Amino acid sequence: MNKLKRFSLPYLILLLVFIAIPMITMIVLSFMTTEGMHFSNAVFTLANFSRLTEISVIVGLWNSLKYATIATLACLAIGYPLAYIFSRSKNKNGFLITLLLVLPMWSNILLRTNALGYFFSANNMITGLLSQIGINWSIDIKGTGLSVVIGLIMVYLPFMILPIYTVLDKIDTSLYDASSDLGGDPIRTFKRVTVPLSLKGVTTGIILVFLPCFSGFAVPRIMGNEKIVMLGTIIEDNFIYMDYNFGSLISMLLIFAIVIALFVISKVDKEGETLL
Amino acid sequence: MSEQEMQSIAALNYNDVNLTWLYRFFHRNHVAKFNKVFFPILKIVFIAFVFFVLYLPVILIAIQSVNNSADPASFGGLTLQWYTEIFKYRSLRSAILDTLLVAFLTLIISTVLGTLFAIGIHALDKKKRQKFIILNNIPLVNAEIVTGISLMLLFSLLLPIFPSVFGLPTMLIAHVFFTLPYVVLSVLPKLSELDANMYDAAVDLGDSPIKALSKVIVPAIWPGIIAGAMLAFTMSIDDFVISYYTTGNGFNNISIWIYSSIGKTSLKPAIYAYSTVVTLLASAFIVVAILWNNHKRKAGTKIEK
Repeated sequence: MNKLKRFSLPYLILLLVFIAIPMITMIVLSFMTTEGMHFSNAVFTLANFSRLTEISVIVGLWNSLKYATIATLACLAIGYPLAYIFSRSKNKNGFLITLLLVLPMWSNILLRTNALGYFFSANNMITGLLSQIGINWSIDIKGTGLSVVIGLIMVYLPFMILPIYTVLDKIDTSLYDASSDLGGDPIRTFKRVTVPLSLKGVTTGIILVFLPCFSGFAVPRIMGNEKIVMLGTIIEDNFIYMDYNFGSLISMLLIFAIVIALFVISKVDKEGETLL
Repeated sequence: MSEQEMQSIAALNYNDVNLTWLYRFFHRNHVAKFNKVFFPILKIVFIAFVFFVLYLPVILIAIQSVNNSADPASFGGLTLQWYTEIFKYRSLRSAILDTLLVAFLTLIISTVLGTLFAIGIHALDKKKRQKFIILNNIPLVNAEIVTGISLMLLFSLLLPIFPSVFGLPTMLIAHVFFTLPYVVLSVLPKLSELDANMYDAAVDLGDSPIKALSKVIVPAIWPGIIAGAMLAFTMSIDDFVISYYTTGNGFNNISIWIYSSIGKTSLKPAIYAYSTVVTLLASAFIVVAILWNNHKRKAGTKIEK
């Protein structure tokens, strides 16, 4: 068995190279002004940092925080009860539930977001069909924060449900029986048994939903009609217009959030059971 | 009922006692009714609502795929025309083929490497293993845009040596890199269910290490490997952000093609047809998997009997 250890070494090297070198490059880039990746006219400067107080960055940071928080809380409010119902149902079929939650992901995420975007605009296929039978009804919210949040919930909800379902499903049902035998009513059983034992899944779910919502750019661009600025859209713009320096600096902000998330996960889930 | 309670009830006048009894009767019935009738209905409505939200875009795409009007804002009757056009446009056809090429190569490379890496990580002692798992989780937790940009910067450093490296090689390396952690995480739990002495026993009994791995360990962790392979394939086929940053020289996958066509007439309705075909194939696969699962379970109970 001990000889098998050597299989982990190439992976260690791969991970270190693919994580450390880009990180160092980003740090170097954020302290310079360069033309993309051409370092010939590179100048050392702190000018990128002073740009952090620009209004667009502050608005982007605020929007990212706001929409990601709302979407994450909504996913938790919808996902926890659903995972709980699934885990307590009599004819349990975890395999089927997982497949049903994963199936929509087989349609391209951008295509799905775009389809939902049409649905939320004033004129679309559905409103057209409805007006043919005399109903004038539309949800005209595309381009607002609300449509961005709904888009994020639609895309990331499965990532909240699955880890919570995984931990709830592992709870020994005799614990519920023990709790009720000892006089716990359903609410107390839920508070004292279910919730503490599912915190691991909840933490993972929150991180798996919050981080992509916080950093994504495709959903806000499509659902926000290009009008809503978020951190992800700022980074994308900077890399498109070859401003690698400021783009790198903003990415470092994201990395800071990710390091915190990794630290939390390493505390609650040491073997990475809930991340899948 | 305790003595104290009996005394307190006795202390009340006749009407009050009656009312308490009535209140208790109705309250109990009300709760029972709520639990038996209202709650299951609420549960079903809730589940239906969540699945409606999750599947609404898929349904809209399916309707769009048979919509005779090329304008997504109106419905012009039914047609199957778009299904015949999936491979008609060169850019869409090459995007589909590129996506499948990358996904299959990723599936093979990530599954083989990920399984070996997981075996290696499992053989480490507990402290080291947990540290390794944190490292393994970095690409998994990392924001896609940061992974994408990181890899792009890394590959850009190679440009002076390989001027045309962007394209299939970079996208493939990127996909292998971000799917490996998923394979590792799906194989690891199966390894910990395995008896630690199996491999040593096989080697002691004269198997070569390679034979011991392929004949003893791999069959035992097979379900984890399959799950990892499926995850890697799904992740690769659906990826947008990382592919977007690590491609170049005209090598596009479906997501990049869609992103560059959204809101333009170049977003051909054929893409809705393609997406619907993929969803239908995946559903068919699910149905087969469930039937097979049930069949296996039935066969299992028969043996038990």
